[in-house]
Amino acid sequence: MKDIVVNFTLNGRQCKKLVPANKTLLRFLREDMYINSVKEGCNEGECGACTVLLDGHPVNSCLVLAAELEGKTVLTVEGLTDDDRLHPIQEAFIEAGAVQCGYCTPGMIMSAVACLNLYGHPTREQIRKEMEGNICRCTGYTRIADAILLSVEKMDAIVAEQGADVAFRGIDKNFVEKWNASYEVK
Amino acid sequence: MSDYKLTPCEKYQAEGREWDRLVVKRKDTTGEETVIGHTQVRKDGVEKVTGTAVYGADINFPGQLYGVCARSPHAHARILSINTDKAKALPGVVTVITGADYPEPYGQFIADQPIIALDKVRYQGEPVAAIAAETEEIARAAAELVEVEYELLPVVNDLEESMKNETLIHEDWSKYECSSACFPVQGTNIGDHFHLCKGDVEKGFEEADLIVESEFRCGQLQHTLIETHTATAAANPYTKELQVWTPNQSPFSIRALMGKIYGVSNEKVRLTMTHIGGGFGGKYEAKCEPIALALSLKCGGRHVKLTYDRHEEFSATVCRSTVQYYMKTGVKKDGTIVANQIKGYWDAGAYVTTNPRVDYNAGFAANGPYEVPNVKIDTYVYMTNRTLGTAYRGFGVTEASTLHEHQMDIIARKLDMDPLELRLKNCLHDGSIGVTGEIISTCAVDECLRAAAANIGWDKLPKRWVDEEGNLCGKGIACFNKLTGTPSTTSCIVKMNENGSIYILSASREMGQGVTTTMPQFAAESLKIDLDKVSVSPVDTHQTPYDKTTTSSRSTFHSGNAILQACEDIKKQLCHLAAIKWKCADEDVVYTAEGNIQHKTDADKCININNVGKSGIMHEQDPVIAIGRYGTSDIFDAPPVDGRQSKRPTVMWMIGAQAAIVKVNPVTGRVKVTKIGAAHDIGKAINPTGCLQQIEGSVVMGLGHAIMEEMIYEDGNLRNGNMVDYKVPTFMDSDIEIKSTLVENGHPEGPFGVKGIGEPGLVPTAACIANAICHACNTDFKSLPIKPEHILFREEAND
Ligand code: FES
Ligand code: FES
Repeated sequence: MKDIVVNFTLNGRQCKKLVPANKTLLRFLREDMYINSVKEGCNEGECGACTVLLDGHPVNSCLVLAAELEGKTVLTVEGLTDDDRLHPIQEAFIEAGAVQCGYCTPGMIMSAVACLNLYGHPTREQIRKEMEGNICRCTGYTRIADAILLSVEKMDAIVAEQGADVAFRGIDKNFVEKWNASYEVK
Repeated sequence: MSDYKLTPCEKYQAEGREWDRLVVKRKDTTGEETVIGHTQVRKDGVEKVTGTAVYGADINFPGQLYGVCARSPHAHARILSINTDKAKALPGVVTVITGADYPEPYGQFIADQPIIALDKVRYQGEPVAAIAAETEEIARAAAELVEVEYELLPVVNDLEESMKNETLIHEDWSKYECSSACFPVQGTNIGDHFHLCKGDVEKGFEEADLIVESEFRCGQLQHTLIETHTATAAANPYTKELQVWTPNQSPFSIRALMGKIYGVSNEKVRLTMTHIGGGFGGKYEAKCEPIALALSLKCGGRHVKLTYDRHEEFSATVCRSTVQYYMKTGVKKDGTIVANQIKGYWDAGAYVTTNPRVDYNAGFAANGPYEVPNVKIDTYVYMTNRTLGTAYRGFGVTEASTLHEHQMDIIARKLDMDPLELRLKNCLHDGSIGVTGEIISTCAVDECLRAAAANIGWDKLPKRWVDEEGNLCGKGIACFNKLTGTPSTTSCIVKMNENGSIYILSASREMGQGVTTTMPQFAAESLKIDLDKVSVSPVDTHQTPYDKTTTSSRSTFHSGNAILQACEDIKKQLCHLAAIKWKCADEDVVYTAEGNIQHKTDADKCININNVGKSGIMHEQDPVIAIGRYGTSDIFDAPPVDGRQSKRPTVMWMIGAQAAIVKVNPVTGRVKVTKIGAAHDIGKAINPTGCLQQIEGSVVMGLGHAIMEEMIYEDGNLRNGNMVDYKVPTFMDSDIEIKSTLVENGHPEGPFGVKGIGEPGLVPTAACIANAICHACNTDFKSLPIKPEHILFREEAND
């Protein structure tokens, strides 16, 4: 199988790697980039444990080939923390009791980031819809929705205190706008 | 991260969900606890949200090999020959092993299972060879090259087939080493039998005004843990030192099993535990561990990593057995139950594994939490050519509860009584005689039933109604009692570090249920030390003291007791060190309730536990370290096999009830559970949010069991062995209003009165949902799951 060179950004860092053409993003991240947060649950797009953001969009990394990474940006939970400080979403997952065995958690958090980029202030119904692809066997889900609502509140409070310019990793206020624009160009 | 602190958030938890506490009786707690009884942020939270928690598959070693199993496509076949030459010849393959390499069979109750199939295969997906290779791809390719010649045998697809005993899955039980807790029947497919007899059921039936007979079946379920089974092993073929890194629930029983399989004494077997990505009983058995070890032994001790994919997880790990129950009840006109007779048949799959324990636990629970003078229970474990049944959150009691609660509703209907009233009339109270003849104590079934019912507004609702949109609506209720495995023992080491912080070494496994947080809470409460200063060690059988297993909702109860005992010793040791420093007698120093090491007469001589590290009393003195033990052998009255009558069959009964409101769309057959009212007697809520998490998670899991999940076999072939076709509840199913009551009826032997809550949340869920659906549709559904097709083609009940 041919190897392909890809240039991409992973959690804010520029990377250049040689990847086998048939290697999934999931295995590439775990085996070659040592990103342990990305979990394998099914390897067929059904559990969401492997969710990462690819150019801001949540994808099941088990269904994406690493060879497609050229020019793309990948974000995982490792890229959410600011030095040793947790992201408000991570804090909220702990404080709302949204974590039990924790195996689904990194994928859940990435889907949550995507959900917030889509809605900013999502309703419970919107959260349920956006997060449907992430399976959790432990929590019963409701506390995960709580955590997302709590994270919104936390970020709102920080914005109120520090001004609208404050940035949160992975959160892009203009995500929807940019997304729509990208369609128009095409 | 020292500059900020995470605090529990209760705000959102009130939205759509409420909870309250009902204190029935308190034993040895003052209500003035500062750590216990208050929600604490879970200690394993930060590593889990940052992706730094290490699970089974995150273990990697330089130069490790990858294991893969070659599996049987047939459910039942004789192996005529195996040829591994082509597989061995594939470049990159290091070894290929077959059953003949390690023929010693294993099994916790009966040693009926080879690591790799020997002379025959008994289920589809059973390993017939295992390969270790440089990459997973090569190993998988090699697995395809293993050539096996099979002679097909008739397939025993289900219970009904098995009960004919025409085709035997195990021809000769007597060949196997069998423990004293397993009762196979020679010449049949019966792998175990349970018999309980209290009073005289025939006499009871004669006294009854009404006899009610019913049947109930629970389908076969997969745990669907998001983390599949995995193990990484390094086995030194020369010294016979074996080490496995694994996310297993039961390190010490796996250690004993591995020692036995490989003829190695316990101290040479080392189980190093990773985080567990979901347990629920599914990671109780040895699955990948023995095969990874066998491969490593044949590869000169190199690390071998064996991880099952989702398809293997479905077809070739473990599941919850199907059970078919029959129940006959004699009841008086006023609703008093005078006799219960129960027959049950488990479809245990191809090997016995933990089924005798499932059979046993369910046997004691099958009568329900009711006082019935005459009870007879006979249940059988039957073998079929399906994947292996094992523990699944509740150890059979969940299934037993669907049976007796279905029966209670039929009785209520026939007597035209309210289902809640019938249950309250018959339920156990303190002083009642239980199903084993035991005098029942700390029993809050009545309180749980009332609270669960109140949580959905039971009294104000009719049995069934139709809403504005034409949906058929109904309410249902269910209760249960479950024992915890007895006797069992645990131990812990509590050590104080040089800086005055505390480390707990205990083999109670964190699998999401929160022991990493509750265990430190006990130490913090006892010593009055800051919770932040207490942590739990990783689990490793070479370092951590013995604990039987993390199952049966026993951890908080057992490890809590051991920790409290060790903490008393820590207090003594600290007083002794202070006495040395203050040059006084040990008796002159006391450990106060506030956590002060205090000179009795000299008020100035006082060290608070949180300052003990700086106080200098430990400097160059004997280290502060204590052992705690707890076991239940002394209180246990072993129930004899001739009828299982016992004054104390278990150290702790867990009790609870749930009520449900459902909406059924008569056109689509779809069921929506709108409300669940839960009430569980947890003895004492150590970490209240932790208790609620167990209940809420269980409710959604139980919803799946009630209306969605079932493994479907045809002729021994698993038809839905993947997450597309085997549906588990998703976020979209979570829109349920849950109201929980934590009933605190302190257990006299529980630490701070605690009981268990790991399994109980799930036990009544499917039962109460099923009952609500039956009411809504005016139908006796006789099996779970109740799927839309069952609803569309239902027959109304008429009596
Ligand atoms: S591993 Fe990718 S969705 Fe399950
Ligand atoms: S927390 Fe265990 S799967 Fe979600």
